[in-house]
Amino acid sequence: MDQAEVMERVVKILTPWVKNEEALASVSMDTNILEDLKVNSARLVDVVIAFEDDFDIEIADEDVDSVNKVGDAVKLILEKLG
Amino acid sequence: MDRPRRLPLQHLVQREVGRLLAPLWIPVVVMVMRFGLGYRVAGLAEVRAKFARIREAREASGIPMLICANHLTLIDSFLVAWAISPTWRYAVHFDELPWNIPERRNFSSNLRERVSSWVMKCIPITRGGARGEVAAVLDRISTLSAAGEVALIFPEGGRSRSGRVDVENAAWGVGRIVGALPGCQVVCVYVRGRKQETWSALPARRDVLDVEVACIEPKSDAKGVRRSRDFVRQIVSQLASMEQEILDGRQ
Repeated sequence: MDQAEVMERVVKILTPWVKNEEALASVSMDTNILEDLKVNSARLVDVVIAFEDDFDIEIADEDVDSVNKVGDAVKLILEKLG
Repeated sequence: MDRPRRLPLQHLVQREVGRLLAPLWIPVVVMVMRFGLGYRVAGLAEVRAKFARIREAREASGIPMLICANHLTLIDSFLVAWAISPTWRYAVHFDELPWNIPERRNFSSNLRERVSSWVMKCIPITRGGARGEVAAVLDRISTLSAAGEVALIFPEGGRSRSGRVDVENAAWGVGRIVGALPGCQVVCVYVRGRKQETWSALPARRDVLDVEVACIEPKSDAKGVRRSRDFVRQIVSQLASMEQEILDGRQ
């Protein structure tokens, strides 16, 4: 699976939790999930679990510490996919 | 987790400075709540006796303990501490005053607030901040708890905008702390003034506070973030159930 495909699926997974639709329209690897997309930080856990289910991977709490931008999530998933 | 023998130096210094100054500020805070604002805790002796039994059992077993409370006002941490233990105990056993994790924007906007909150055993957190910074605070709480300290944390993440326990928006970082502390007992404390309709800065003047205390040991067979979510859901569900009991009891 390449980066573009993972990015597309990540954005699709994030969409239901996004409160800033404008930012979603111009989403990129540098888009901040909490600050730009306005995803509720308390719901980030649901997003991460959705990543786990969709990509069939396991994500530890510590893995999420480095996920601030969409690109961080994409990189983490690519790492987990090996 | 192996229990460290000593606290990290920064927290040791913070606690000991707080201990030295405790006789100056703890009675003042309690007097303001009791006589200035006129608050009263319904069944105060029973609430304190219940918490004392939990505390004694925990001291005997040595297992980590975390206090989780509902969140409706800016002074909930003071209200919880006042409700669960007599003021004199905090002066004599300052270790029993829980570490508190306030929202940085509410209590650290100027030097006076930063110094006051430091003396009062606060570790500010920026809710919704960069994940790495939030994780660092959570790790500090885990370290403190593992060293035998007690922390008070609000699993709803902020004051409930609906005025009821917000089960859907629980801060899963609390579950992460519990997961890092094998066998951790969570003391759930629900506090609500009888005039409290929704969230506010302070409870209404001369309000009577209903308080419930329950001890649970969250469990989960899941791994990773699912495990943390399981833990925090159990805690918040317990708080929601206590809320329902209090509201039912008022009718």
